[in-house]
Amino acid sequence: MRILFFAQTKDAAETSELEIKISGSASFDEIWEKLVAVKPKLTEFRKATRLARNGEYADAKTKFTDADEVALIPPVSGG
Amino acid sequence: MKIEIQITNQPIRSRSLTENYPAGAIAEFSGIVRDLENGEKISALEYEAYSPMAENEMRRILESLNEKFPCLAAQVIHRVGIIPVGETAIYICVVAKHRGEAFSMLAEFMNRLKQDVPIWKRRAIVKTESAQPIVSVAVKTSGHGNALSLDDAVAEISSCCQPLPGVHAPLAESLGRILRENITTTEDLPAADKSTRDGYAVLKNDSSEILSVVDAIHAADWKPRQLKIGEAVRIATGGSLPCKNVCVIMQENVERNGDIIKIVRHESNLNIRKRGEEIRAGETILNSGAKLDAGKLALLATVGYAQPLVSPKLKIIHFTTGDEIISPEQKPKPGQIRDSNSILIHALLKNFPCELVQQHLPENFEMAKQVISAFSLQPPAFDLVLVSGGASVGDKDFTRPLLEWLDFEIVFNRIAIRPGAPLIFGTNGNRAAFGLPGNPLSHFVCFHLFVAAALKKLVGDEPRKFLRGNLAAKLDDAPNSRETLWPVRCEIQNGKWELTPLRWSSSGDATCLAETNALIRIPANRGSIESGAEVEFFRTHY
Repeated sequence: MRILFFAQTKDAAETSELEIKISGSASFDEIWEKLVAVKPKLTEFRKATRLARNGEYADAKTKFTDADEVALIPPVSGG
Repeated sequence: MKIEIQITNQPIRSRSLTENYPAGAIAEFSGIVRDLENGEKISALEYEAYSPMAENEMRRILESLNEKFPCLAAQVIHRVGIIPVGETAIYICVVAKHRGEAFSMLAEFMNRLKQDVPIWKRRAIVKTESAQPIVSVAVKTSGHGNALSLDDAVAEISSCCQPLPGVHAPLAESLGRILRENITTTEDLPAADKSTRDGYAVLKNDSSEILSVVDAIHAADWKPRQLKIGEAVRIATGGSLPCKNVCVIMQENVERNGDIIKIVRHESNLNIRKRGEEIRAGETILNSGAKLDAGKLALLATVGYAQPLVSPKLKIIHFTTGDEIISPEQKPKPGQIRDSNSILIHALLKNFPCELVQQHLPENFEMAKQVISAFSLQPPAFDLVLVSGGASVGDKDFTRPLLEWLDFEIVFNRIAIRPGAPLIFGTNGNRAAFGLPGNPLSHFVCFHLFVAAALKKLVGDEPRKFLRGNLAAKLDDAPNSRETLWPVRCEIQNGKWELTPLRWSSSGDATCLAETNALIRIPANRGSIESGAEVEFFRTHY
């Protein structure tokens, strides 16, 4: 699974992209657990950061598979 | 409502809503970078976007608001990268019948954008007294700054190059181009019920053993007639059936005597293709974005699209430089080398529909400018400019001033990969330019990684993706602070990609290149990789 980081989460992860392996499908929370395990600095962003699956916002019910592109979307500030 | 969305790292200048709408109101909004951010004087803001999602979200918001405030058209341009104070970060234009909807759409869109669209203000660039002109900040790395990673360089190229407008081209000139329209047929295929065999058409409910042949239908014929019991029509493969409720008996299953046939073997197949069985009228058979290959061109011909809307043929100019370069048929004197980059670029570009002009330039800058002027080789006559540095020419001395003289703004000039440095990338509007290092292997790597990314974006093709495969032998390499693209030979073994690293030393580049059909990607500081390990790679043969 390809994970993309943006803005503050990119700084915390110290990379813009990460590849993690999951088997079968994973929940929203399971993805976070995996991420925080590899990049502990992401913990503080967990509350305010949304996840996107293949370019669309995910929610607590979303199932993720290994083929998905997942992006961490911290609070946005465009415009 | 017509929606146009663009995320760009170029200054927002053009306002391109030029169509005529039955509009009573056009509302425009420009969001400008102010000189104060959190109470501090700044000279620029840097924005970042998750572009594909940001575009989708903006579209989704506009579409949902359109239900509440119906409008005719909306255009949104959001700039990213470093935006100097006083310049536009976002531009919106809404066209509506009445001002009420236009104002509401605009205001509500901005509110929703600030909640949901993945674009971020990354940092403020604080004003300093000795400030260089702000445009110089846009150069990602000059001098010994931190060089761009492969991914960042590709992302930069991708955001600077936008797909060029499509053109209608004859099928014979469309091979390899990207389709820019959805292809929907207005005809059924086949257009009528047809026979799939050479044989005899008879009524399905006819149980006669002996029938009389009353007509013959060839593939091109259209001869409707109502068959009666006891009647058969000779029909060729592809021939249109004479009427409804018939089947075709293969000629091998009958004995013919004059105009009489006798059925000697019964068969269960109807041997017909129904009208519209393959394609129904109104069906979309090819989508915009498809790369046209022989089969797709044949399909377009079948359904009558003789001039599909496709990506334009790119106009490319390739300059070689260096006074020590001689042509392949010459014998080098001491200090001279034969030009292998011209044929390398020529051959690599064969995979992209383009018109290529190649020109050698003298090493003297003034003389080079004269050559370019004399042959009218300046942009805008070209979509892409490539400059190959000669081995002895420091490209700081030549390529960069040359590109700047041609009005290109240098976007980056250092990348953290090997081989490949120094690579220069510049833009001039939607035109791109690359200064490629002179060494042939660097050329090859930079072409596949970066030039191909620009070419693909300009024509609207999918970006290249890395594949995964396994090393067939240990790769011996000392850890390097730069990401490495290592030449390999790839082949499929037992359903898996196996990658054999090639011997690569700077002196053996040309021999190594002749064997290479893929490049593997070794992360920075990785060093040797064991045989069998999984690595990322991409193929360099299309």
